[in-house]
Amino acid sequence: MSYIVPIGPYHPALEEPIHAKLYTEGEVIVDAEVNVGYNHRGIEKLATERNAIQTLVLVERVCGICSHSHAFTYAMAVEGVNGTEVPKRGQYIRVITAELERLHSHLLWAGIAFHIIGHDSMFMHTWDVRELIMDMLEELSGNRVNYGMVTIGGSRRDISDEMRRDFLAKLDKVGPIVDRIVDISLNDKTIAMRTKGVGVMSTEDAIRLGAVGPHARASGVKIDVRRDAPYSSYDDFEFDVPVCDSCDVFARVVVRLLECYESVKILRQALENLPAGPINLGNKIPKIKEGEFVARHEAPRGQLSHKVAGNGGQMNQRVSIHVPSYKNTPTVPHMLRGNTVADAGLIIASIDPCFSCLDR
Amino acid sequence: MQEYRMTQISKEEIIPTALRMRHEGRWLVMIHGLVEPDGQVRVSYDYAVDPAVESYYVLGETTLPSISGIYDEAARWPECELHELMGLEFEGLDTSKRLFLPEDMLETQGKGHILVTPLSELRAKRVEQMEKGE
Repeated sequence: MSYIVPIGPYHPALEEPIHAKLYTEGEVIVDAEVNVGYNHRGIEKLATERNAIQTLVLVERVCGICSHSHAFTYAMAVEGVNGTEVPKRGQYIRVITAELERLHSHLLWAGIAFHIIGHDSMFMHTWDVRELIMDMLEELSGNRVNYGMVTIGGSRRDISDEMRRDFLAKLDKVGPIVDRIVDISLNDKTIAMRTKGVGVMSTEDAIRLGAVGPHARASGVKIDVRRDAPYSSYDDFEFDVPVCDSCDVFARVVVRLLECYESVKILRQALENLPAGPINLGNKIPKIKEGEFVARHEAPRGQLSHKVAGNGGQMNQRVSIHVPSYKNTPTVPHMLRGNTVADAGLIIASIDPCFSCLDR
Repeated sequence: MQEYRMTQISKEEIIPTALRMRHEGRWLVMIHGLVEPDGQVRVSYDYAVDPAVESYYVLGETTLPSISGIYDEAARWPECELHELMGLEFEGLDTSKRLFLPEDMLETQGKGHILVTPLSELRAKRVEQMEKGE
Protein backbone atom coordinates (compact mmCIF):
# COMPACT_ATOMS: atom_id res chain seq x y z
CA MET A 1 0.00 0.00 0.00
CA SER A 2 1.24 3.51 -0.80
CA TYR A 3 0.86 6.23 1.76
CA ILE A 4 2.05 9.80 2.14
CA VAL A 5 3.28 10.26 5.70
CA PRO A 6 3.72 13.85 6.83
CA ILE A 7 6.29 14.70 9.51
CA GLY A 8 6.18 18.14 11.04
CA PRO A 9 6.22 21.12 10.91
CA TYR A 10 5.82 20.39 14.63
CA HIS A 11 6.84 16.92 15.75
CA PRO A 12 8.40 15.46 18.91
CA ALA A 13 11.49 14.23 17.03
CA LEU A 14 12.19 17.67 15.59
CA GLU A 15 13.67 20.50 17.60
CA GLU A 16 12.79 23.04 14.98
CA PRO A 17 9.99 23.25 12.41
CA ILE A 18 10.44 21.46 9.08
CA HIS A 19 7.82 19.72 7.03
CA ALA A 20 8.88 16.43 5.46
CA LYS A 21 6.54 14.48 3.20
CA LEU A 22 7.40 10.80 3.00
CA TYR A 23 6.05 8.80 0.05
CA THR A 24 6.00 5.27 1.36
CA GLU A 25 5.44 1.82 -0.01
CA GLY A 26 4.50 -0.21 3.07
CA GLU A 27 7.09 0.80 5.64
CA VAL A 28 9.80 1.78 3.14
CA ILE A 29 10.26 5.38 2.02
CA VAL A 30 10.42 5.52 -1.79
CA ASP A 31 10.63 9.29 -2.10
CA ALA A 32 10.56 12.33 0.13
CA GLU A 33 10.45 16.08 -0.01
CA VAL A 34 11.22 18.74 2.57
CA ASN A 35 9.57 22.12 2.97
CA VAL A 36 11.20 24.90 4.97
CA GLY A 37 10.31 28.49 5.71
CA TYR A 38 8.51 28.25 9.05
CA ASN A 39 11.09 30.49 10.74
CA HIS A 40 11.58 33.13 8.04
CA ARG A 41 12.09 36.44 9.83
CA GLY A 42 13.59 38.65 7.11
CA ILE A 43 16.84 39.26 9.02
CA GLU A 44 18.76 40.11 5.82
CA LYS A 45 16.23 42.83 5.10
CA LEU A 46 16.39 44.20 8.66
CA ALA A 47 20.20 44.33 8.47
CA THR A 48 20.00 46.92 5.69
CA GLU A 49 18.60 49.41 8.23
CA ARG A 50 21.21 48.80 10.92
CA ASN A 51 24.75 49.99 11.50
CA ALA A 52 27.59 47.49 11.92
CA ILE A 53 27.35 47.22 15.73
CA GLN A 54 23.56 46.86 15.69
CA THR A 55 23.90 44.22 12.97
CA LEU A 56 26.27 42.22 15.18
CA VAL A 57 23.50 42.00 17.77
CA LEU A 58 20.95 41.15 15.06
CA VAL A 59 22.93 38.40 13.30
CA GLU A 60 23.82 36.84 16.65
CA ARG A 61 20.10 36.13 16.98
CA VAL A 62 19.88 34.24 13.69
CA CYS A 63 20.59 31.04 15.61
CA GLY A 64 20.79 30.07 19.25
CA ILE A 65 23.35 27.27 19.02
CA CYS A 66 25.86 28.89 16.67
CA SER A 67 25.26 32.51 17.65
CA HIS A 68 28.98 33.29 17.95
CA SER A 69 29.63 31.95 14.45
CA HIS A 70 27.28 34.50 12.89
CA ALA A 71 28.70 37.48 14.77
CA PHE A 72 32.24 36.23 14.09
CA THR A 73 31.66 35.83 10.34
CA TYR A 74 29.82 39.12 9.98
CA ALA A 75 32.65 40.93 11.79
CA MET A 76 35.21 39.24 9.51
CA ALA A 77 33.24 40.34 6.45
CA VAL A 78 33.10 43.99 7.61
CA GLU A 79 36.82 43.87 8.46
CA GLY A 80 37.42 42.40 4.99
CA VAL A 81 35.60 45.30 3.31
CA ASN A 82 37.51 47.85 5.41
CA GLY A 83 40.87 46.05 5.27
CA THR A 84 41.12 46.04 9.08
CA GLU A 85 43.69 43.83 10.81
CA VAL A 86 42.41 42.39 14.11
CA PRO A 87 44.92 42.29 17.04
CA LYS A 88 46.33 38.80 17.59
CA ARG A 89 44.88 38.46 21.11
CA GLY A 90 41.45 39.40 19.79
CA GLN A 91 41.75 36.71 17.08
CA TYR A 92 42.71 34.06 19.65
CA ILE A 93 39.77 34.94 21.93
CA ARG A 94 37.41 34.66 18.94
CA VAL A 95 38.86 31.22 18.15
CA ILE A 96 38.50 30.10 21.79
CA THR A 97 34.81 31.10 21.82
CA ALA A 98 34.24 29.46 18.42
CA GLU A 99 35.79 26.15 19.52
CA LEU A 100 33.90 26.13 22.83
CA GLU A 101 30.76 26.69 20.78
CA ARG A 102 31.65 23.80 18.47
CA LEU A 103 32.18 21.51 21.48
CA HIS A 104 28.85 22.43 23.02
CA SER A 105 27.04 22.16 19.66
CA HIS A 106 28.46 18.72 18.82
CA LEU A 107 27.74 17.37 22.31
CA LEU A 108 24.22 18.78 22.14
CA TRP A 109 23.66 17.06 18.80
CA ALA A 110 25.14 13.76 20.03
CA GLY A 111 22.81 13.92 23.05
CA ILE A 112 19.77 14.48 20.83
CA ALA A 113 20.81 11.66 18.50
CA PHE A 114 21.10 9.26 21.47
CA HIS A 115 17.73 10.47 22.74
CA ILE A 116 16.08 9.80 19.35
CA ILE A 117 17.43 6.25 19.20
CA GLY A 118 16.09 5.72 22.73
CA HIS A 119 19.40 5.61 24.59
CA ASP A 120 18.48 8.13 27.27
CA SER A 121 21.28 7.36 29.72
CA MET A 122 23.82 8.30 27.01
CA PHE A 123 21.79 11.43 26.31
CA MET A 124 22.14 12.52 29.94
CA HIS A 125 25.80 11.53 30.06
CA THR A 126 26.56 13.64 26.97
CA TRP A 127 24.66 16.65 28.24
CA ASP A 128 26.45 16.35 31.55
CA VAL A 129 29.81 17.02 29.90
CA ARG A 130 28.20 19.71 27.74
CA GLU A 131 27.29 21.49 30.97
CA LEU A 132 31.02 21.82 31.72
CA ILE A 133 31.48 23.60 28.40
CA MET A 134 28.44 25.80 29.03
CA ASP A 135 29.95 26.80 32.40
CA MET A 136 33.14 27.81 30.61
CA LEU A 137 31.19 29.87 28.07
CA GLU A 138 29.25 31.49 30.90
CA GLU A 139 32.47 32.31 32.73
CA LEU A 140 33.96 33.75 29.56
CA SER A 141 31.02 35.81 28.30
CA GLY A 142 28.45 35.98 31.10
CA ASN A 143 25.87 34.21 28.90
CA ARG A 144 24.89 30.67 28.00
CA VAL A 145 23.68 31.72 24.54
CA ASN A 146 24.25 34.89 22.48
CA TYR A 147 27.69 35.46 23.93
CA GLY A 148 28.27 38.98 22.57
CA MET A 149 32.00 38.29 22.41
CA VAL A 150 32.66 39.94 19.06
CA THR A 151 32.99 43.54 18.04
CA ILE A 152 34.17 44.95 14.73
CA GLY A 153 37.97 44.90 15.05
CA GLY A 154 38.36 42.33 17.84
CA SER A 155 36.72 40.78 20.89
CA ARG A 156 34.68 42.46 23.60
CA ARG A 157 35.91 40.60 26.69
CA ASP A 158 39.38 39.61 27.74
CA ILE A 159 40.53 36.34 29.30
CA SER A 160 42.31 36.81 32.62
CA ASP A 161 45.25 34.65 33.60
CA GLU A 162 43.18 33.01 36.33
CA MET A 163 40.39 32.16 33.88
CA ARG A 164 42.94 30.77 31.46
CA ARG A 165 44.30 28.36 34.08
CA ASP A 166 40.78 27.42 35.14
CA PHE A 167 39.84 26.63 31.52
CA LEU A 168 42.92 24.45 31.05
CA ALA A 169 42.02 22.53 34.22
CA LYS A 170 38.43 22.06 33.02
CA LEU A 171 39.62 20.85 29.60
CA ASP A 172 41.61 18.15 31.40
CA LYS A 173 38.28 16.85 32.74
CA VAL A 174 36.50 17.01 29.37
CA GLY A 175 38.95 14.67 27.57
CA PRO A 176 38.37 11.52 29.69
CA ILE A 177 34.55 11.97 29.64
CA VAL A 178 34.57 12.28 25.84
CA ASP A 179 36.80 9.16 25.75
CA ARG A 180 34.08 7.27 27.60
CA ILE A 181 31.32 8.57 25.28
CA VAL A 182 33.37 7.60 22.19
CA ASP A 183 34.07 4.17 23.69
CA ILE A 184 30.37 3.48 24.32
CA SER A 185 29.31 4.92 20.92
CA LEU A 186 31.74 2.68 19.05
CA ASN A 187 30.99 -0.51 20.96
CA ASP A 188 27.35 -0.32 22.06
CA LYS A 189 25.08 -2.77 20.22
CA THR A 190 21.95 -0.59 20.43
CA ILE A 191 23.69 2.41 18.88
CA ALA A 192 25.22 0.24 16.14
CA MET A 193 21.86 -1.35 15.28
CA ARG A 194 20.06 1.97 15.02
CA THR A 195 22.75 3.91 13.13
CA LYS A 196 24.89 1.60 10.98
CA GLY A 197 23.76 1.49 7.35
CA VAL A 198 20.97 4.01 8.05
CA GLY A 199 20.58 7.21 5.99
CA VAL A 200 23.47 6.55 3.64
CA MET A 201 24.72 9.40 1.47
CA SER A 202 27.51 8.32 -0.86
CA THR A 203 30.65 10.41 -1.43
CA GLU A 204 29.52 11.10 -5.03
CA ASP A 205 26.14 12.37 -3.80
CA ALA A 206 27.80 14.55 -1.15
CA ILE A 207 29.95 16.21 -3.82
CA ARG A 208 27.11 16.46 -6.35
CA LEU A 209 24.70 18.06 -3.86
CA GLY A 210 27.41 20.24 -2.31
CA ALA A 211 27.15 19.01 1.30
CA VAL A 212 29.40 20.81 3.79
CA GLY A 213 30.82 20.42 7.29
CA PRO A 214 30.72 17.26 9.44
CA HIS A 215 27.92 15.95 7.21
CA ALA A 216 30.24 15.95 4.16
CA ARG A 217 33.20 14.69 6.20
CA ALA A 218 31.09 11.73 7.35
CA SER A 219 30.64 10.91 3.66
CA GLY A 220 34.38 10.90 3.05
CA VAL A 221 34.77 14.45 1.67
CA LYS A 222 37.68 16.17 3.38
CA ILE A 223 36.62 19.82 3.48
CA ASP A 224 37.11 22.23 6.35
CA VAL A 225 37.32 26.01 5.97
CA ARG A 226 39.69 26.20 8.95
CA ARG A 227 42.22 24.14 6.97
CA ASP A 228 41.38 25.13 3.36
CA ALA A 229 41.11 28.89 3.84
CA PRO A 230 42.58 29.74 7.26
CA TYR A 231 41.33 32.87 9.02
CA SER A 232 41.65 34.42 12.47
CA SER A 233 45.00 32.68 13.24
CA TYR A 234 43.69 29.14 12.59
CA ASP A 235 46.96 28.45 10.74
CA ASP A 236 48.80 28.84 14.08
CA PHE A 237 47.19 25.67 15.45
CA GLU A 238 47.79 22.04 14.71
CA PHE A 239 44.68 19.93 14.29
CA ASP A 240 43.36 17.10 12.15
CA VAL A 241 40.21 16.97 10.05
CA PRO A 242 38.49 13.66 10.92
CA VAL A 243 36.89 11.94 7.93
CA CYS A 244 34.80 8.76 7.92
CA ASP A 245 33.78 6.93 4.78
CA SER A 246 30.97 4.65 5.94
CA CYS A 247 28.59 7.50 4.89
CA ASP A 248 25.80 6.57 7.36
CA VAL A 249 24.38 8.04 10.57
CA PHE A 250 27.01 6.12 12.54
CA ALA A 251 29.75 7.97 10.59
CA ARG A 252 28.12 11.28 11.51
CA VAL A 253 28.20 10.35 15.20
CA VAL A 254 31.87 9.29 14.96
CA VAL A 255 33.00 12.38 13.00
CA ARG A 256 31.33 14.79 15.42
CA LEU A 257 32.73 13.03 18.48
CA LEU A 258 36.25 12.96 16.99
CA GLU A 259 35.94 16.67 16.21
CA CYS A 260 35.44 17.28 19.93
CA TYR A 261 39.03 16.06 20.46
CA GLU A 262 40.30 18.44 17.75
CA SER A 263 38.46 21.36 19.36
CA VAL A 264 40.01 20.52 22.73
CA LYS A 265 43.41 20.38 20.97
CA ILE A 266 42.91 23.85 19.42
CA LEU A 267 41.57 25.28 22.70
CA ARG A 268 44.58 24.01 24.60
CA GLN A 269 47.02 25.52 22.07
CA ALA A 270 45.15 28.84 22.01
CA LEU A 271 44.95 29.10 25.80
CA GLU A 272 48.58 28.11 26.36
CA ASN A 273 49.94 30.51 23.73
CA LEU A 274 47.52 33.42 24.25
CA PRO A 275 49.48 36.43 22.96
CA ALA A 276 49.70 39.65 24.95
CA GLY A 277 48.35 42.92 23.60
CA PRO A 278 45.05 44.68 22.96
CA ILE A 279 41.88 42.67 22.27
CA ASN A 280 40.21 45.16 19.92
CA LEU A 281 40.65 48.46 18.12
CA GLY A 282 38.30 50.60 20.24
CA ASN A 283 34.54 50.98 20.44
CA LYS A 284 33.73 53.52 17.72
CA ILE A 285 30.89 52.67 15.35
CA PRO A 286 32.79 51.79 12.17
CA LYS A 287 31.96 53.03 8.70
CA ILE A 288 31.69 50.32 6.07
CA LYS A 289 33.71 51.29 3.00
CA GLU A 290 32.33 51.10 -0.50
CA GLY A 291 32.88 47.55 -1.66
CA GLU A 292 32.03 44.03 -0.62
CA PHE A 293 33.57 40.95 0.93
CA VAL A 294 32.63 37.35 1.57
CA ALA A 295 33.92 35.89 4.84
CA ARG A 296 33.74 32.17 5.50
CA HIS A 297 33.86 30.37 8.83
CA GLU A 298 33.67 26.70 9.73
CA ALA A 299 30.61 26.82 11.99
CA PRO A 300 29.73 23.67 14.01
CA ARG A 301 27.50 22.53 11.11
CA GLY A 302 29.81 23.49 8.25
CA GLN A 303 30.78 26.38 6.06
CA LEU A 304 29.02 29.61 7.02
CA SER A 305 29.44 32.63 4.76
CA HIS A 306 28.41 36.25 5.17
CA LYS A 307 28.54 38.69 2.29
CA VAL A 308 28.59 42.34 3.30
CA ALA A 309 28.29 45.21 0.84
CA GLY A 310 28.92 48.73 2.10
CA ASN A 311 28.37 52.17 0.59
CA GLY A 312 30.75 54.29 2.66
CA GLY A 313 28.29 55.00 5.51
CA GLN A 314 27.62 53.26 8.81
CA MET A 315 24.77 51.14 7.39
CA ASN A 316 25.05 47.91 5.42
CA GLN A 317 23.92 48.13 1.86
CA ARG A 318 23.28 44.40 1.87
CA VAL A 319 24.05 41.49 4.16
CA SER A 320 23.60 38.06 2.66
CA ILE A 321 23.87 35.13 5.02
CA HIS A 322 24.47 31.63 3.74
CA VAL A 323 24.34 28.88 6.33
CA PRO A 324 25.54 25.24 6.24
CA SER A 325 22.01 23.83 6.67
CA TYR A 326 21.15 25.51 3.35
CA LYS A 327 23.46 22.99 1.66
CA ASN A 328 22.78 20.03 3.93
CA THR A 329 18.97 20.10 4.07
CA PRO A 330 18.48 19.35 0.33
CA THR A 331 20.43 16.10 0.88
CA VAL A 332 17.74 14.80 3.29
CA PRO A 333 15.35 13.38 0.63
CA HIS A 334 18.29 11.50 -0.94
CA MET A 335 19.19 9.96 2.42
CA LEU A 336 15.60 9.03 3.28
CA ARG A 337 15.02 6.92 0.15
CA GLY A 338 15.08 3.21 0.89
CA ASN A 339 14.91 3.62 4.68
CA THR A 340 11.99 2.87 6.97
CA VAL A 341 9.60 5.45 8.40
CA ALA A 342 10.86 4.63 11.91
CA ASP A 343 14.32 5.97 11.00
CA ALA A 344 13.09 9.16 9.32
CA GLY A 345 13.31 11.32 12.47
CA LEU A 346 16.88 10.17 13.11
CA ILE A 347 17.95 10.72 9.49
CA ILE A 348 16.55 14.26 9.43
CA ALA A 349 18.28 14.98 12.75
CA SER A 350 21.56 13.44 11.55
CA ILE A 351 22.49 16.49 9.45
CA ASP A 352 22.31 18.55 12.67
CA PRO A 353 19.72 20.77 11.01
CA CYS A 354 19.28 24.36 12.05
CA PHE A 355 16.16 25.75 10.45
CA SER A 356 16.24 29.10 12.20
CA CYS A 357 19.64 29.61 10.52
CA LEU A 358 18.32 28.36 7.20
CA ASP A 359 15.21 30.54 7.09
CA ARG A 360 16.90 33.60 8.59
CA MET B 1 44.10 34.98 5.08
CA GLN B 2 40.88 34.77 3.12
CA GLU B 3 40.64 36.73 -0.10
CA TYR B 4 37.80 37.90 -2.30
CA ARG B 5 38.01 38.55 -6.03
CA MET B 6 35.29 40.00 -8.25
CA THR B 7 34.93 39.57 -12.02
CA GLN B 8 32.13 40.93 -14.18
CA ILE B 9 30.74 38.46 -16.71
CA SER B 10 27.92 38.56 -19.25
CA LYS B 11 24.72 36.55 -19.00
CA GLU B 12 26.03 34.12 -21.66
CA GLU B 13 29.14 33.33 -19.61
CA ILE B 14 27.23 32.11 -16.51
CA ILE B 15 26.88 28.49 -17.70
CA PRO B 16 30.47 28.10 -19.08
CA THR B 17 31.84 29.53 -15.80
CA ALA B 18 29.72 27.14 -13.73
CA LEU B 19 30.81 24.20 -15.90
CA ARG B 20 34.47 25.16 -15.54
CA MET B 21 34.17 25.49 -11.76
CA ARG B 22 32.31 22.17 -11.49
CA HIS B 23 34.98 20.51 -13.60
CA GLU B 24 37.71 21.89 -11.31
CA GLY B 25 35.81 20.50 -8.30
CA ARG B 26 35.02 23.88 -6.73
CA TRP B 27 32.20 24.28 -4.20
CA LEU B 28 29.48 26.82 -5.00
CA VAL B 29 29.41 29.10 -1.94
CA MET B 30 26.25 31.02 -2.79
CA ILE B 31 24.33 32.94 -5.41
CA HIS B 32 23.73 36.40 -3.99
CA GLY B 33 21.33 39.03 -5.25
CA LEU B 34 21.90 42.71 -4.58
CA VAL B 35 20.24 45.95 -5.64
CA GLU B 36 22.79 48.62 -6.55
CA PRO B 37 22.21 52.19 -5.31
CA ASP B 38 21.14 53.10 -8.88
CA GLY B 39 18.44 50.42 -8.82
CA GLN B 40 20.22 47.86 -11.03
CA VAL B 41 20.12 44.25 -9.92
CA ARG B 42 23.46 42.50 -9.48
CA VAL B 43 23.56 38.72 -9.19
CA SER B 44 26.87 37.23 -8.12
CA TYR B 45 27.94 33.60 -8.29
CA ASP B 46 30.51 32.93 -5.57
CA TYR B 47 32.80 29.92 -5.88
CA ALA B 48 35.28 28.70 -3.28
CA VAL B 49 38.73 28.72 -4.90
CA ASP B 50 40.55 28.08 -1.64
CA PRO B 51 41.73 30.13 0.14
CA ALA B 52 39.88 32.77 -1.90
CA VAL B 53 36.27 33.27 -2.92
CA GLU B 54 35.87 34.15 -6.61
CA SER B 55 32.75 36.11 -7.38
CA TYR B 56 31.42 36.30 -10.95
CA TYR B 57 28.68 38.89 -11.21
CA VAL B 58 26.11 39.85 -13.81
CA LEU B 59 24.75 43.38 -13.81
CA GLY B 60 21.28 44.60 -14.73
CA GLU B 61 19.74 41.27 -15.82
CA THR B 62 16.48 40.04 -14.33
CA THR B 63 16.17 36.85 -16.40
CA LEU B 64 19.10 34.48 -16.02
CA PRO B 65 19.87 30.91 -17.06
CA SER B 66 19.61 28.40 -14.20
CA ILE B 67 22.76 26.52 -13.20
CA SER B 68 20.77 24.00 -11.15
CA GLY B 69 21.49 21.44 -13.88
CA ILE B 70 25.21 21.76 -13.08
CA TYR B 71 25.28 22.35 -9.33
CA ASP B 72 22.06 20.46 -8.53
CA GLU B 73 20.39 21.38 -5.22
CA ALA B 74 23.28 23.62 -4.14
CA ALA B 75 22.23 26.05 -6.89
CA ARG B 76 18.50 25.32 -6.99
CA TRP B 77 17.77 26.57 -3.49
CA PRO B 78 19.61 29.91 -3.83
CA GLU B 79 17.94 30.44 -7.22
CA CYS B 80 14.51 29.71 -5.70
CA GLU B 81 15.28 32.16 -2.91
CA LEU B 82 16.20 34.93 -5.36
CA HIS B 83 13.08 34.14 -7.38
CA GLU B 84 10.89 34.47 -4.29
CA LEU B 85 12.49 37.36 -2.46
CA MET B 86 13.75 39.47 -5.37
CA GLY B 87 11.47 38.42 -8.22
CA LEU B 88 14.28 37.27 -10.54
CA GLU B 89 13.50 34.70 -13.23
CA PHE B 90 15.71 31.68 -13.83
CA GLU B 91 15.24 29.86 -17.13
CA GLY B 92 14.89 26.14 -16.59
CA LEU B 93 14.27 26.36 -12.84
CA ASP B 94 11.28 24.52 -11.39
CA THR B 95 9.38 27.20 -9.46
CA SER B 96 6.13 25.32 -9.02
CA LYS B 97 6.84 24.92 -5.28
CA ARG B 98 7.76 27.65 -2.87
CA LEU B 99 10.88 27.59 -0.70
CA PHE B 100 10.40 30.13 2.10
CA LEU B 101 7.12 31.89 1.48
CA PRO B 102 3.62 30.47 1.98
CA GLU B 103 2.10 28.68 -1.06
CA ASP B 104 -0.54 31.37 -1.60
CA MET B 105 2.12 34.05 -2.10
CA LEU B 106 3.32 32.47 -5.35
CA GLU B 107 0.41 33.69 -7.47
CA THR B 108 0.40 37.23 -6.06
CA GLN B 109 3.03 38.98 -8.12
CA GLY B 110 5.46 41.01 -6.06
CA LYS B 111 3.84 40.30 -2.68
CA GLY B 112 6.77 38.40 -1.22
CA HIS B 113 9.69 40.28 -2.78
CA ILE B 114 10.87 41.69 0.52
CA LEU B 115 14.49 42.23 -0.53
CA VAL B 116 13.55 44.77 -3.20
CA THR B 117 10.61 46.42 -1.42
CA PRO B 118 11.50 49.38 0.85
CA LEU B 119 11.05 48.60 4.56
CA SER B 120 8.69 51.57 5.02
CA GLU B 121 6.35 50.09 2.40
CA LEU B 122 6.49 46.65 4.07
CA ARG B 123 5.64 48.23 7.45
CA ALA B 124 2.72 50.17 5.95
CA LYS B 125 1.39 46.93 4.43
CA ARG B 126 1.64 45.19 7.80
CA VAL B 127 -0.25 48.00 9.57
CA GLU B 128 -2.93 47.82 6.87
CA GLN B 129 -3.25 44.05 7.39
CA MET B 130 -3.47 44.41 11.17
CA GLU B 131 -6.19 47.04 10.88
CA LYS B 132 -8.17 44.69 8.66
CA GLY B 133 -7.67 42.04 11.33
CA GLU B 134 -5.74 39.60 9.08
